[in-house]
Amino acid sequence: MNAPELPKSFERREAELPNPLPRPEGEFDALKKAWEPPRWISFVTAVNNTYVGLWYVGTAFLFFILAGILSLIMRTQLAVPENDLVSHNLYNQLFTMHGTVMMFLFAVPAVEAASVYLLPNMQAARDLPFPRLSAYAFWAYFVGGLVFFGTIFFGLSPDGGWFMYPPLTSTKYSPAENADWWLLGIGFIEISAIAGAIEIIVGVMKTRAVGMSLDKLPVYSWAMLVFAVMIVIGFPAIILGTLLLEMERAFDWPFFIAERGGDPLLWQHLFWFFGHPEVYIIFLPATGMVSMIVPTMAQTPLVGYRLVVLALIATGFLSFGLWVHHMFATGLPKMSLSFFSAASTAVAVPSGIQVFAWIATIASGRMKLTTPSLFVIGFLFIFTLGGLTGVMVAMAPFDWQAHDSYFIVAHLHYVLIGGMVFPLFAAIYYWVPVASKRTLSERVGRWVFGLMFLGVNVTFLPMHITGLIGMPRRVYTYPVGMGWDALNLVSTIGAFMIAAGVALFLLDFARNFRFAGENNAGNVWNASTLEWLPNGNYNTRSIPIVVSRDPLWDQPNLSKDVEDGRYYLPGTATGGREALVTSPFDARPQYILQVPGPGWQPVLAAVFTAAFFLLLTVKFIFTSIICGVLAVGFVIWWLWETDPGPVRPPADIGGGIVVPVYATGPVNHSWWAMIVLMVVCGMIFTCLIFSYLFLWLVNPGAWPPQAVRIPDWIWPALSGFLYCASAALIAVASRHLRGEDRRKPRSVPILIGVALLLVSGASAVDLWAQWQTALSPSAHAYGAAVYAIVSLQIFFVLTTLIMGPYTIARWLAGKLDSVRRTTFDNTMLFWFYTVGQGLVGLLVVHGFPRLTGGI
Amino acid sequence: MTGRRTAQVLLALGGMFAWAVQFALIYGATSTLCGRGWADATLLAIGVVPFAILSTTLVTLVAAAILLIVSFREERRWRDQPSSTADAFLSQTGVLINGLSLIAILWNGVPAFILPACA
Amino acid sequence: MDFETTLTRLRGRIDPVLRCGGGLLWAFPLAGCSGVQSALDPAGGDAWDLYWLTIVMTVGATLIFVFVTALLLYAVFAPPERRAWLGTRRTIVYGGLAFPIVTLSLLLPYGLIVMRDVDAPQPGALQIEVIGEQYWWRVRYPAEGEQAEFSTANELVIPIGRPITVSVTAADVIHSFWIPNFGGKIDMIPGRINRFNFTAERPGIYRGICAEFCGAQHARMAFDVMALEPAEFDAWRRTQAQPAPEPAIPFLARGRDLFRSGGCGSCHVVRGTEANGQLGPDLTHVGSRRTIGAGQFPNNVGTLAGWIANVQQIKPGAKMPSYGSLTGEDLRAIAGYLESLK
Repeated sequence: MNAPELPKSFERREAELPNPLPRPEGEFDALKKAWEPPRWISFVTAVNNTYVGLWYVGTAFLFFILAGILSLIMRTQLAVPENDLVSHNLYNQLFTMHGTVMMFLFAVPAVEAASVYLLPNMQAARDLPFPRLSAYAFWAYFVGGLVFFGTIFFGLSPDGGWFMYPPLTSTKYSPAENADWWLLGIGFIEISAIAGAIEIIVGVMKTRAVGMSLDKLPVYSWAMLVFAVMIVIGFPAIILGTLLLEMERAFDWPFFIAERGGDPLLWQHLFWFFGHPEVYIIFLPATGMVSMIVPTMAQTPLVGYRLVVLALIATGFLSFGLWVHHMFATGLPKMSLSFFSAASTAVAVPSGIQVFAWIATIASGRMKLTTPSLFVIGFLFIFTLGGLTGVMVAMAPFDWQAHDSYFIVAHLHYVLIGGMVFPLFAAIYYWVPVASKRTLSERVGRWVFGLMFLGVNVTFLPMHITGLIGMPRRVYTYPVGMGWDALNLVSTIGAFMIAAGVALFLLDFARNFRFAGENNAGNVWNASTLEWLPNGNYNTRSIPIVVSRDPLWDQPNLSKDVEDGRYYLPGTATGGREALVTSPFDARPQYILQVPGPGWQPVLAAVFTAAFFLLLTVKFIFTSIICGVLAVGFVIWWLWETDPGPVRPPADIGGGIVVPVYATGPVNHSWWAMIVLMVVCGMIFTCLIFSYLFLWLVNPGAWPPQAVRIPDWIWPALSGFLYCASAALIAVASRHLRGEDRRKPRSVPILIGVALLLVSGASAVDLWAQWQTALSPSAHAYGAAVYAIVSLQIFFVLTTLIMGPYTIARWLAGKLDSVRRTTFDNTMLFWFYTVGQGLVGLLVVHGFPRLTGGI
Repeated sequence: MTGRRTAQVLLALGGMFAWAVQFALIYGATSTLCGRGWADATLLAIGVVPFAILSTTLVTLVAAAILLIVSFREERRWRDQPSSTADAFLSQTGVLINGLSLIAILWNGVPAFILPACA
Repeated sequence: MDFETTLTRLRGRIDPVLRCGGGLLWAFPLAGCSGVQSALDPAGGDAWDLYWLTIVMTVGATLIFVFVTALLLYAVFAPPERRAWLGTRRTIVYGGLAFPIVTLSLLLPYGLIVMRDVDAPQPGALQIEVIGEQYWWRVRYPAEGEQAEFSTANELVIPIGRPITVSVTAADVIHSFWIPNFGGKIDMIPGRINRFNFTAERPGIYRGICAEFCGAQHARMAFDVMALEPAEFDAWRRTQAQPAPEPAIPFLARGRDLFRSGGCGSCHVVRGTEANGQLGPDLTHVGSRRTIGAGQFPNNVGTLAGWIANVQQIKPGAKMPSYGSLTGEDLRAIAGYLESLK
């Protein structure tokens, strides 16, 4: 690592701006040219965060409207008792799709999309570190999401509720493909979310304005960091869950079938371990937005920055101790439930901190009642109420009454609409001037707010009562004379008020939104953060030094100096797209990252990924596999163009700071991404091990079940030895590939090749060991769990079988040497992970039954 | 440099990790003990389930308290050095996080005094 | 224990006033908080505990909500010099940190104590087994003393004043057993047996429902709960344990024959006849039940006939086919026969 040390203090003195004026002829034009998006049809291949971000937000909003329309149909059906507007069949699909689309296709993508757009601007980075990955995530989501939504028109939509509890969703009770649409459709949208999360983590940690140390990070960046880490920890559980349920449906592996040693509760654990944090995953980015909007509207710095950061981090942790509070009625021991009650109360504290931080900020400034402010105030009102009912349902005994009743429907809509939709509308009104030449209408905005605010309360406040007087959720109709009629009618009226508000918003948006590449409406609110710097496709002309949390307020003339190119990297050092990578804590410049530009590969890879999953759902196996192969092919082609190596000597970015244009090892951005990916994989594997242990726990006295022979210990020993040997060979290859002389030792491809043989051998031996004992994956949950562990391992080994030859190919093509070795490093990290997971898997599968000895 | 930063972050988040460990252990222990029919077993004159919960709580509580004290010291060390703001920030946040963790850990231990072991 | 009983009785007296209290606090005109299926109209000790927890938390939450909203509006609208005190870190430390910690430190033990006390198994409890099926309830009263065991469906008849333990499970998918007036709900999960304990204190008719989405006709899966005086209950139990009575008149005998020849017996049991199918509800004393179709319609000859002929129109997705081809006369005979099975 050769990052130069900056002076301890970034105190700006006029004479000491990094780059002098005037700037050389053509510098700015070269920068503009590098970041220009492609034209005409190729425009869809654009990867600039500003374009992809907007498409992403737009698509998410489209799903918000579509899912909203579904809810209007439901509300109309429930307006009067015994209504027959829609059949039970359609209604069950409607509520399943409403929940699923709102959660998976609107809420998570919307906040992720907003951050694709906002984060780089807010941190004065030129783009996200992996722009093609964001494009890939967007297109996979766009294609997959639309097809998934389309199923509602063919009666093929999932109809088991958005949490898809087996056995209702098992083959026996849902033989049609509806459930598969959910499992595969949502499965890969989750993968798209994880791709986004990796991007965000690396983006927040590695690409910031110079001097934007952790204590000066915008609260929004903090929120997105915690958000992304939570996705990385939480989403693997649902990915594994969908995988297990799909394996049960497709191959009859009885993970959730009680007669054969499975347990329906396993699904609930996996689902809610993701599902509860999910609520906070949606909520935290929204609070991050609010923490940006409130200081601007009050024209004063946020009060209690550290407390707010504490709240974000604490929420991130505590929200993982809440999942069983969706399972309070499942008959678990009261003691077990009580821990989740305790954690559910604990998580209320950080929310309280944030609410009071905003109140204090408002009090310390002078709140202008603009449309964003109104939505923020509305948010505080609605969310506080939702939070308080949240504390109520955290008390298990109360939840025994409220659970699965309309009280919960009321609570969750207060929390999600209050906690996410209102902040999102505030954010749209607030940030439109960055993306558009015109602002939205303040006058219309007040009406939008008024209608939505009243609508939400009219709809959902009565539902608290409706639930407590006995109305269960998810009923397509209800009998006369239960005392629910009037309340339901009121709720329906409220729902249409919300719809009117949203429709008005759309009109205003269509009237006033004009996309701005270069000359946006400007800093209309006099905000303090860097996204309000003058910007274009390249984001900011030069990358500023930041000395406070509110740079635009505290550093006069910053906008002008940035625009004139007086700060760092005012042009392009390599002639292409670049981002400045900074150190994770203090944001000192480390190296120039050569950012890949537009290309068809991510778009096509995404389309074929979506096609692979969607065709698999309708059991066009052969076409599906072709699409899968094409998807992998396009990803490889896209990657082939990355890892460019040091194309020029270290460049001067201004102020005497010279940084390289290529770096490897732990400072490298893709090294970080790889580590995060390994955490994701590790979490999937951990959840699988948890499932194995859980199934053991529910099968007293039969682990393994009678008549099952555990393979002889020689097999796992051999397999383990092969795994270790392959890892050792890769480590040796890494040693050979060291040195500043750009050497290309012949041993590297040979070592990788042999290691490939060994690692394949290892997993083959592992599989054979189970096979030869005639263990059946469908006879009992034990066999299913064992084969699940073995299969996951085989999947990882197959991935090394792609990465290994790819690395060899790079060597053969002369694109891999002892300096230009990022590709090798990534393969190596993944290899070590695969071997580690293989060893733990062997230990569990062969060791655990011996350890417990059938207790 | 990186090593020191890692230590600072671990210190700042340590309490929450202690909470997570406590949570996983007490939930795992309760499930396993109840699931395997050790509901009525006793250890040192109290039920084995409350024993597991209380001992885990005690250990993690002490751990969180130590982390809190250490982060207090850190905080004092950086208080008067305005130039290294990331350090001051991390240490102050550490105090808050570890303090809150203490409460969360304490609350997790409360049920052991009130509820029956496995009913 | 005695004190608590007294307290519960006392609550019973002031109950009409209190009953709507929870609702009124929402400042909302109430459509009716008393009812056969309402958590705000407790009819048992545990339900009362839950009710009080609800009230305490609702009052507390309302106060906090009003306070926070007032503070927010004050922060927005009060003159700057008057609200300056609010705009500091101290506000967050007291309001967002200290206050919740103190409040929740009190609420958590209270919640846990309620949790310990409600739904607790009692010695000498009446045992009942309920199995949830798509979309009805199989109910079994095991033998107790000289009382023989018997099965029924879609109704729970219980004595007041005696603890009751309902053991629940599911035959197909997950259901949830919920009688709001008697306390919380408990999930019915295939492969697991859960228990729900309560004591009814007020005689009356209540309604239970399935609370966990269980498929097409989840909305039409309810049951009646009859809380009777102990003597009435014993009488009911003795009657239920008897086999079905012989048809008293030829018309009913014809109904029985049609029931037999129509193959109804391959799914339904009528004890004392050769009908011994196990797939559907036990019909031995179907005539004595308040409702049919899992709590859907009042039980009389007309609804029974309509049900038999049109199940799939009324409750599409139920396992029973519609017997639309029966003539009106035959339908009336079968329905009459079933209605006579008191």
